[in-house]
Amino acid sequence: MAALTRPATGGSGGVGGAAGPRQPSVLANPWVRALAVIAVFVAGYGLFRYLGSPAWAGPFPTGIGDRFMAWLDGVYAWIVENRNDSPLFLYGFNYVSVGLGSAVVLINRVLDLLTWAGVTVIGVLGAWRVAGWRVALLVLATFAVFALTGLWDESMTTLALIITSVLIALVFGVPLGILAGRSEAFHRGIRPVLDFMQIMPAFAYLLPFVLLFGIGNPAAAVVTAVYAIPPAVRITALGIREVPKGAVEATTSLGSTPWQVLTKVQLPMAKRTILLGVNQTIMLAVSMVVIASVIGAGGLGDAIYQALSKVNVGEAFQAGLAIVMLAIAMDRVTGAVGHGARTPHIPPRFRLPVLGTGLVAVIVVVTAARAVGAGGWPRELSVDISAPVNAFYEAVQAGIGTYTAALSEWTLDWVLTPLSALLTGSPWWLVVVVAAALGWTLAGWRAGLVSGASFVVIGLLGVWVNAMDTLSQVLVASAVTLALGVAVGVLMSRSDVFAMLLRPVLDAMQTLPPFVYLIPAVALFTIGRVPALVAAVIFALPPVIRLVNDGIRGVPAATKEAALSQGSTKWQLLSKVELPMARGSLLLAVNQGIILVLSMVVMGALVGAGSLGFDVVFGLAQNELGLGLASGLAIVCLGLFLDRVTQGRRAPRA
Amino acid sequence: MRRSRRAASTEHALVRLLAVGLALMMVSACAVRTDQIARDPNTVRIALNGWVGYEASAEVLAYVLREEMGYEVQLMRVSEQPSWQALDQGVLDVIVENWGHEDLMELYGPEGNGTVVDGGPNGNEGVIGWYVPAYMEEEYPEITTVEGLKEHTDLFRTAETGDQGEFLGGAPGFVTQDQGMIDAFDLDLEIVYAGSEASQITEVRRRYANEEPVLFYFYDPQWLQEELDLVRVDFPDYEEGCADDPSEVPCDYPAYELNKIFRAGFAETGDPAYQFLDNWTWTNADQNRVAQMIADEGMDPTDAAEVWVEENPDVWRPWIPKDVEPAG
Repeated sequence: MAALTRPATGGSGGVGGAAGPRQPSVLANPWVRALAVIAVFVAGYGLFRYLGSPAWAGPFPTGIGDRFMAWLDGVYAWIVENRNDSPLFLYGFNYVSVGLGSAVVLINRVLDLLTWAGVTVIGVLGAWRVAGWRVALLVLATFAVFALTGLWDESMTTLALIITSVLIALVFGVPLGILAGRSEAFHRGIRPVLDFMQIMPAFAYLLPFVLLFGIGNPAAAVVTAVYAIPPAVRITALGIREVPKGAVEATTSLGSTPWQVLTKVQLPMAKRTILLGVNQTIMLAVSMVVIASVIGAGGLGDAIYQALSKVNVGEAFQAGLAIVMLAIAMDRVTGAVGHGARTPHIPPRFRLPVLGTGLVAVIVVVTAARAVGAGGWPRELSVDISAPVNAFYEAVQAGIGTYTAALSEWTLDWVLTPLSALLTGSPWWLVVVVAAALGWTLAGWRAGLVSGASFVVIGLLGVWVNAMDTLSQVLVASAVTLALGVAVGVLMSRSDVFAMLLRPVLDAMQTLPPFVYLIPAVALFTIGRVPALVAAVIFALPPVIRLVNDGIRGVPAATKEAALSQGSTKWQLLSKVELPMARGSLLLAVNQGIILVLSMVVMGALVGAGSLGFDVVFGLAQNELGLGLASGLAIVCLGLFLDRVTQGRRAPRA
Repeated sequence: MRRSRRAASTEHALVRLLAVGLALMMVSACAVRTDQIARDPNTVRIALNGWVGYEASAEVLAYVLREEMGYEVQLMRVSEQPSWQALDQGVLDVIVENWGHEDLMELYGPEGNGTVVDGGPNGNEGVIGWYVPAYMEEEYPEITTVEGLKEHTDLFRTAETGDQGEFLGGAPGFVTQDQGMIDAFDLDLEIVYAGSEASQITEVRRRYANEEPVLFYFYDPQWLQEELDLVRVDFPDYEEGCADDPSEVPCDYPAYELNKIFRAGFAETGDPAYQFLDNWTWTNADQNRVAQMIADEGMDPTDAAEVWVEENPDVWRPWIPKDVEPAG
């Protein structure tokens, strides 16, 4: 648990300050109290170990959880039995599933009908019109990557799925966001639901959706939409709220109906922000389509799986690269729409002719391409980069494999195993009390209650021991992420050149599907919890680095000058001025880092991390709805605890 | 899917768009069963489970269906259990390599809701078991017996398992009885769940390269068997019913006669594609030949299938039903 306290104190600032003479009592500092709680916890563990771990001081009994899982398995059996008889399915879910499945197929057919040439021309011209020639070039490069990696058809399948699911997400998300923006009560009601959707690991709800909507494209589209909806709702609500009250009141006093206020004032003024939400929705959809391949969605994710079943890292990387390009291109295009920057300035009277010329160009290209019999990009004309990537991978493995394996063993022996023993070996009620106490100390009594309750629910779900083991892994991965993130973030804020070089790397790290680096992690760190830890750190690091960098760069120059002129050393400037002033960003970085690490729990199970993540994967693969869902819910509970504890006492996020 | 799509002409694609649209309109008028999802009757949909041997079978069948019989083929990559579910939902037509799964047959077969039928053996024989590298057997010849293994469980200790030996489990979708065997034979082992076949193979390869001890769940036919020299641990032979209690399994895995599973509706059509798949059988050697081209030589699966089809016309010609005209 010490992991939680260390980074948030910003190195030495917090604890050092607490010992200072101005503090009335040492215990008034929440970090000191948190340390005390942890000390009590460790002492308690030692005591019960000494007593020989009596039954009343063991893990949470699993009786209730077992019954809950059995009940879910019963639900599963009922659905299988009644899928083609029950009206709920005949007139409900089956419609959705058939409709969505067909929609994806249709869009794919349209893309196919346009041929590779047509799709490229439309994409590039469209990107130029909304985002300028730089982004248009990026889009062209993206299509070139699709073509040259020999993954054109897969990319189009993925694109079709993304389009379908983003449309669903927006059709539901934007109206919900508008409601949440206009009604405080609705906003308060929907926020926990959105939190829940964002923390629940996607793998855990794959199975229920497969059950309701059918395997393949329909379930994939729904799952992707569900995963991508939260930012659409949140950011739309934020946009509507940010519209100045004065503007709304002025229109209302002029006698506008609420509908007029919405369409004439609120929506136009919130347009930029809403488009930012669209951007975020698309980005999440891109990351989800890879996971959706597990349930037969096909496309680029499928190409990655195919490569992995042969343990061909180079090929997986190649498909990963196509996804990275797709994500970056979609981000830049939609981002540009939101900001309106760099859009070519075309006088209004030329707009129609420009559009007309564009359309004619598209029609000419499509007709010409179809006339010569083009379809997808011919596979023969592709460049195979998997061989050099594989060679590089093998060289790295040969070069540093022994050292990384030794590091892995050390981490297991000295960090992961003891921490796991502490959490799984302590009496469950002691853990609940410690969690509640930590929540209360660090973030107030409300958070304390939520924390304690989360742990009780984990117990009731019947997965206590696995959850504690997972928690130990999450804590260690978070600590490593935050330590590295703060260090790199500080360096990045020091040097503009370094920052410029680092940005594209961070972009790629954030969009590269984790599947691609899971296998190299095993090769270097041996199977088990450590490669999972490494993968989680890689995944969670970029946002932490960015937040730390932004926070430090946000410190006013005048403040820094003042500190320097008073003779501060560089280290003092950093530890006494910059880090404390960037506290808001740092806290957010801690929170985001931990939540992202948690979202990798299930991925980690694919390389031997076991515990909750494995049960989620196992539940999906063996159709055990009860086990999969209970473990998924337990991950949500862990997330709730970690989120509340690290949000601190500041106002809740929008 | 991709290959045949490229061949489709403009007209063909337009007609298909229309057909999909029509199907949509038709279904919007009444109760919808899941098998009414838009698809065209000329497409065979084959489940693609996640191991290369399976992929080899599926790709060869797909190749012949496309190139020799003029069908379109859709390969959908899903795990074993979800593939059964997909047959049940009418999303897929056939599983070409099934390992056991009596429980699923009870659920979906003629005794259950009747949406799938057993298509009979595909000619491949499957073996699941516990394996160690050959270099371990050289050093400890008795390690492939139950007693020898019991004595040497300490060899397999790792940082991950502490003072117990490590047993490296298979992918989560696979058929397993490992914990039952560990308990029944009282072995001091702890299962580490590899979580995916890719990570399991990566780890086995790494230890093999360093000649480190490793004991793991594996199976045959599997392409890695050709690359590494592996030895199977001998347990008492499987007998009917000895694996009924999953917590106590005092016997080895059974030998599997791998079979095909059809969607009942697909089998009922009696379509030439069904007859072809029904006729198909081949040997482990056939499958390994194709699987090795895919996994070891890094060939595109379709190219590997093409090579095999060109080399072995005598094997696959008889699978094609008599009355089917060879397609251009």
